[in-house]
Amino acid sequence: MAAVTIAIVAMTVAGLSVTLAIRRGESVVFLLATGLLYGSALVYVALLLLSLLHIPWSLIASLIALAALSAVPWLIRRFLNLPAAAAPGHRVRPHWLDIGSAATIAGYAFFATLAPPWEWDFWVIWGLKARVFFESRGIDWRFLQSRWNMFTHPDYPLLLPLEFDFVALLHRSWDDRWLGILFVFWSLALLLIVRDIAARETTPFIAALLTLTLTTLATSRYVGMAECLLIAFGGAAVLLLRRAIRLNEPADWIHGALFLGFAANVKNEGVALLVAVGVAMLIVARRQALRLWPAIVVAAPWLLLRATHSLSTDILSQSGSGSAIGRILHRLPAAAEVLAPMFEFLNERWFWFALCAGALALPLLKRESFVLLVTLFQLAFFVAAYFATPSDIRWHVATSWWRLTDQMALPLTFVIVEQLAESLRRHTD
Amino acid sequence: MLVCLVAIVGLRVNPFLLQLPFIDRTALAEEKRMYPDRRWPLYPRFLDRVRETTKDGDAIALMFPIMNWNGGYSDAYYRASYFLAGREVLPLLTWDERFHPENLHQARYIAAWAVNVQPRDTSVVWRAEGGQLLRH
Repeated sequence: MAAVTIAIVAMTVAGLSVTLAIRRGESVVFLLATGLLYGSALVYVALLLLSLLHIPWSLIASLIALAALSAVPWLIRRFLNLPAAAAPGHRVRPHWLDIGSAATIAGYAFFATLAPPWEWDFWVIWGLKARVFFESRGIDWRFLQSRWNMFTHPDYPLLLPLEFDFVALLHRSWDDRWLGILFVFWSLALLLIVRDIAARETTPFIAALLTLTLTTLATSRYVGMAECLLIAFGGAAVLLLRRAIRLNEPADWIHGALFLGFAANVKNEGVALLVAVGVAMLIVARRQALRLWPAIVVAAPWLLLRATHSLSTDILSQSGSGSAIGRILHRLPAAAEVLAPMFEFLNERWFWFALCAGALALPLLKRESFVLLVTLFQLAFFVAAYFATPSDIRWHVATSWWRLTDQMALPLTFVIVEQLAESLRRHTD
Repeated sequence: MLVCLVAIVGLRVNPFLLQLPFIDRTALAEEKRMYPDRRWPLYPRFLDRVRETTKDGDAIALMFPIMNWNGGYSDAYYRASYFLAGREVLPLLTWDERFHPENLHQARYIAAWAVNVQPRDTSVVWRAEGGQLLRH
């Protein structure tokens, strides 16, 4: 447990430098939350760089790399002679409803640490890669390229496995017992960012209600898998970019774009999210779309490495039924075979019905077109993936759809609940 | 609107998480701990023993009583890959149900769990934990 705790503290300290270099004067809540997310991202970059430079991973090497990387934002600021921006001072005022959010997070902490991560995907994909890389003290490209290891999805980005490796380096051996603690803190980080964003937009009651509502969306039940971190980076990115479009504060653009880029380093769905956000931005705020460039810079290295090491994606692979495009065209006339399982395996159906009803009751397209479009494009990507899958469609939907809906839910729920609560408040006033 | 808001907020409350700190979690923790190995609870002990005996980089072929990919061999192979990380675990069967006898010959070791077969040109390193480790 000590190694995970030290890892979280080290990540947060390292990540604070990024937040502070982007803008000073943020609330403590925002500072700590973004600190942990940036620190997690810096750990990934540090271990990736060491591996690319053929420097064997060690505790000392990883800490030196982490410290060096945390200085980079300050060096860039000084080199470009940028003025230190200050956030419009605000503090997050607590509300009694926050007790409910805190109690849920506490319950999640007990859940996530019941045992070592037990999910199949942990010991077949994320944990397995981390353990293999830890044994070889670097990214084992031979392992990823081996035809016997295709089941590990070698094309999946490596941010999450390298987080586990950082803990293993601190522990000086592989021990998966307390890795669940990471997931508690990543969830907490996202909720604190949500709380901060909401506190700047609405009343303390609505902000606390929003956070309470989103608590069980941020705390992914899939402990050990990439959903939690993807929801954290992706959710924070979409909500910060939404605020950037509205207020046009440079810091929001940078935070949002960086988190978006790191989401693309967590899962392939993060890459889809990046494209979805890019297209939505072109529609909603065309002139601002270029401000997403940090996301491209952050996402590009893994995509290049994946291509240069010929790590193919199974969805796009050739199979007995032809190419991905061929499979999509072949299945289009029988679209119900894809769409029916998506309805059948829709998790938390009543929640989604309530969310859709709420969306229909509001002039959402006018006020929240960005989040709405991002969600629609994400959905389109997921449907296309099901049409293109070389696997049995029903099996593919049954084993993934409930996780994909979790990935989409948080920003959409944020805007719908906020708009519903604000409408009711205005009506009452 | 009020109905929608109450429904959304209410449906997001998770009573299970709220009560978890206050209940006896022993059985649940044991269930989660055993979950990956629920079909073969003794298999991890065998894999641990194989790990103790072998070194990083060793190629180990896996023999398992169920020679059907979806019927159980895949799970056994995946589990062995996790426990024996650093070694090269070679399957004798792949997802397309193709048998790969060449891996028996390419491997330095053969980890055979609940299988009492000894291929030619191999010697027994040990028999324990419900299985045996063979070596070319």
